Amino acid sequence: MKNLRLKSARAALDMSQQQLADAVGVSRQTINAIEKGDYNPTIKLCLAICKTLGKTLDELFWEE
Amino acid sequence: MEHSVGYMLGLLVGVLVGVGIIALLFKLKVMDLTFDERQERARGQAYKYGFWTLLSCLLLYGFSDMILGRWCDVITGAMLCVAAALLVFASVCIVKDAYLSLKENPRAVMTLLTVVSILNLGIGIMNWKNGRVVENGILTFAAVNGICGLMTLVILVVYVVNYLLAKREDGE
Repeated sequence: MKNLRLKSARAALDMSQQQLADAVGVSRQTINAIEKGDYNPTIKLCLAICKTLGKTLDELFWEE
Repeated sequence: MEHSVGYMLGLLVGVLVGVGIIALLFKLKVMDLTFDERQERARGQAYKYGFWTLLSCLLLYGFSDMILGRWCDVITGAMLCVAAALLVFASVCIVKDAYLSLKENPRAVMTLLTVVSILNLGIGIMNWKNGRVVENGILTFAAVNGICGLMTLVILVVYVVNYLLAKREDGE
């Protein structure tokens, strides 16, 4: 399932996938895979993304 | 093909020097093979495919030797199996975007693969022309350059095709 909340949170900060990837220490393809729903990140990476984007885990990764 | 002890020692020293240089580059942080968690996982899967390819090829090589008789030098047969396994490993890594580490540059890797392919294929062709590749109906150690050149060329082609496809996908 696509993670549109992550994509919109990133876009709201005017960040590219590459910038977010550099900030959390992964490749751009990994951010792309998370946004497309092709890869389930570990809790460690989820937390790093949340801290970088200023969001909570629930806001970005909780499935309703 | 028989080789002198000096030739074999030279080969061994060459390999050891190569390994030493690579180890030094890692120590000096010139080479940095850091992968992220998704890449590590993908590379784990690629290792698995490479491992089973190696086992299958070794079995096939062993059976072919039993059935057909000696058709290539043992070291050349082993290199054929290793090349097949590396090809599978690299191709899976490339397709899963896990071939390059976080700090590697795609163009640098493509250039390196091109140079290695050209050098090995060049030496392989020279060996072929000199009639050293097949002697008395047996594939000799001189074929290894051609095998390595062909392997890196195929890896390069897979890499370039994947690179262009990813670029086109990003543009859409």
